[in-house]
Amino acid sequence: MPGELPPAAASWPERRRHALADPAMRAAVAKSTRSLTAKKEAVFAAYPAAEAMRTRAVIARRGSLARVDALLDELTCQVEARGGHVVRAAGPADVGHYVLDVARRRGVQRVVKSKSMATEEIALNEQLENAGLHVRETDLGEYIIQLAGERPAHILVPASHKTRQQVRALFDREAAACAVDPPAGDATPELTAFARRQLRADFLAADMGISGGNFLVAETGTLVLITNEGNGRMTTSLPRVHVAVVGIDKIVATWADLADLLQQPALSGTGQRLSTYTTFITGPRRDGELDGPEEFHLVLLDNGRHELLGTEFADVLACIRCGACLNVCPVFRTIGGQAYGSMYSGPIGVVLTPLLGGLERAPELPKSACALCYACADACPMEIDLPRHILALRRTEVERGMEPWTDRLTFELWGRFWASPAGFRFTGRIARLGQRVYVRDGRLKGAPGLVGGWTATRNAPPLAREPFHEWWSRRRASRAGS
Amino acid sequence: MVVAAACFEGRVVTRKPSAGSLAEVSGRGALVAEFVESWRGLEGDAWIVRGGRDEVRRTIVEAARIMVEDGGPGAHRRVLAWATADLAALELSGLIAEQGWEHVAWPSGPGGATGAIGPEGPAAASAAPTAAGADPTPADLVALAAASDLGITTCAWAVAETGTIALYATPATGRLPSLLPTAHLALVRPSQVVKSVPDGLRLLADYMAREGGPPSAVNLVSGPSRSADIEGDLAVGVHGPRRAGVIIGEW
Repeated sequence: MPGELPPAAASWPERRRHALADPAMRAAVAKSTRSLTAKKEAVFAAYPAAEAMRTRAVIARRGSLARVDALLDELTCQVEARGGHVVRAAGPADVGHYVLDVARRRGVQRVVKSKSMATEEIALNEQLENAGLHVRETDLGEYIIQLAGERPAHILVPASHKTRQQVRALFDREAAACAVDPPAGDATPELTAFARRQLRADFLAADMGISGGNFLVAETGTLVLITNEGNGRMTTSLPRVHVAVVGIDKIVATWADLADLLQQPALSGTGQRLSTYTTFITGPRRDGELDGPEEFHLVLLDNGRHELLGTEFADVLACIRCGACLNVCPVFRTIGGQAYGSMYSGPIGVVLTPLLGGLERAPELPKSACALCYACADACPMEIDLPRHILALRRTEVERGMEPWTDRLTFELWGRFWASPAGFRFTGRIARLGQRVYVRDGRLKGAPGLVGGWTATRNAPPLAREPFHEWWSRRRASRAGS
Repeated sequence: MVVAAACFEGRVVTRKPSAGSLAEVSGRGALVAEFVESWRGLEGDAWIVRGGRDEVRRTIVEAARIMVEDGGPGAHRRVLAWATADLAALELSGLIAEQGWEHVAWPSGPGGATGAIGPEGPAAASAAPTAAGADPTPADLVALAAASDLGITTCAWAVAETGTIALYATPATGRLPSLLPTAHLALVRPSQVVKSVPDGLRLLADYMAREGGPPSAVNLVSGPSRSADIEGDLAVGVHGPRRAGVIIGEW
């Protein structure tokens, strides 16, 4: 079954214009992406074991994905044997219904969440809020984004496009709304202290914690959760009920597989050897334990993933959401994450958004949000061939006739003329005549249509008065004559 | 002996001991040194103790004074500690009371304790006094932990190259003491330090083989809570303990 993603907030030209007109955001994104890339390179250089582990991790990940159905069955048995509940969800509505059902049964009013791309994908917060639940994002970046009423701009650092002044303004507004003291200033410790105080209160009052999951270990039914802030631990330790919403692609067969994978999100994402908190959760609180959730629910989300198995795109399921491809992408570095109109931005978003949500959901991404520079292919620790997938999606768009008629006509005419030497020469003669009014100071300026867009920010030389093939013919003729 | 402590940019670090002195700590000197270096690299506090039980006790007090803020003379501090057999020899309750602070022992649960998890597996819990007399409810414990200044635990194993400690959740070794107090202090024996994360996971695999599966929760902790969500600037202590300390020694 194909999946479903929430629609983009605005059209592609609007999102693009908006992004390009925001110098503060662009500077923040440029800074954070370059810094994360430098940290990643530094950790791999200083930690020789990392590369060998990464290579084994790729094999482990693909091996597990090749038998995902059997592993999901094994996982389900293991979780249930330890007192947890497992449910398979085809799409957003299934998850919403299930979580709301649990919430009603357990009298849940307040929900805390730790960062999860899977729940972004299914707009779970909206579904819960519409049903009257209070939902609080607890990752610092997600908290900022939630207060701003936006969507995350980066898989790993969702608020990387916000400046500290903007963060302070959001916190001041929240402080006024809650009638509490605002942050003492806009220095990082002051902003952090405000968030800590506010979020601590939310954690202590919450009835349900919703987390995602970085990996699932089939052989013991274990959920692996990786965070740096500790909000994942809070979310899964304090509330009475813990619900984990995890894509079926996160499964690995054994702990031996996990051993090679566990450090990869940190190594490639933030350049740490291991994230600060790694939590292995196997079922709910056990007999005699005085902390931990009373109930553990694991929602296995499909949302278009299963359909990708066995296709040329299957390797995208190996993605560990480290964000390394975003950080090296020249397009992402220029326009930031929100312009993609999807929770998955950057090169992986260009591929994953149409694959999960349908090509009609975001035809502009493969077509316009990639320069085919292949930096992402080099950066991906799971060796996902993102540029090849982007080309394949472009081809599919053309095969389905999805491009506008103007594009089709342009390329058809272009192809027809340039298919013969006579046609090629003819277009050259026309262009040389036509360019005369647009040549200023020896440069092409302000020509109409596509040429104008190209020359607006570039110095394009005009076509030569005498093209090579004419010069060549003349030279041969004069030699023959001499 | 506590390696001399020095203040550095608001963080207490201890001078890097020579390899020779560490070799005396145990045969795992190099691993211990690497662990301490990694842990400090993550903004964590570390003390290496060579003198046995009494030095470990003295260092716990020193660490508590340094890691817990607002510690003027006579200030009330609450210390929430696991009360496992492994920790019994340290007599934490007396030690903490001597400082004029409140000691709360993590209760081993109504179902009866199965105890601390060391490399040798679950051990019997000690008969150390527990919180607030009769069976505290989980909600009481959350409130108590959230209002504690320091949590003291041991660990199951530690990883040298990542600066990581592993905490297994069992009735006697609850999750909250390492999570909610303002600071967390873990006692690590030199023999518990392994080289890599996969080495540590092999110890977990041994536990699983013995116990028929993993604990309900295992937490790998690598330094204090951190975030880079505001302009990529490092912020320590967003959610979890603001300071995370380790004492490496035998007791």
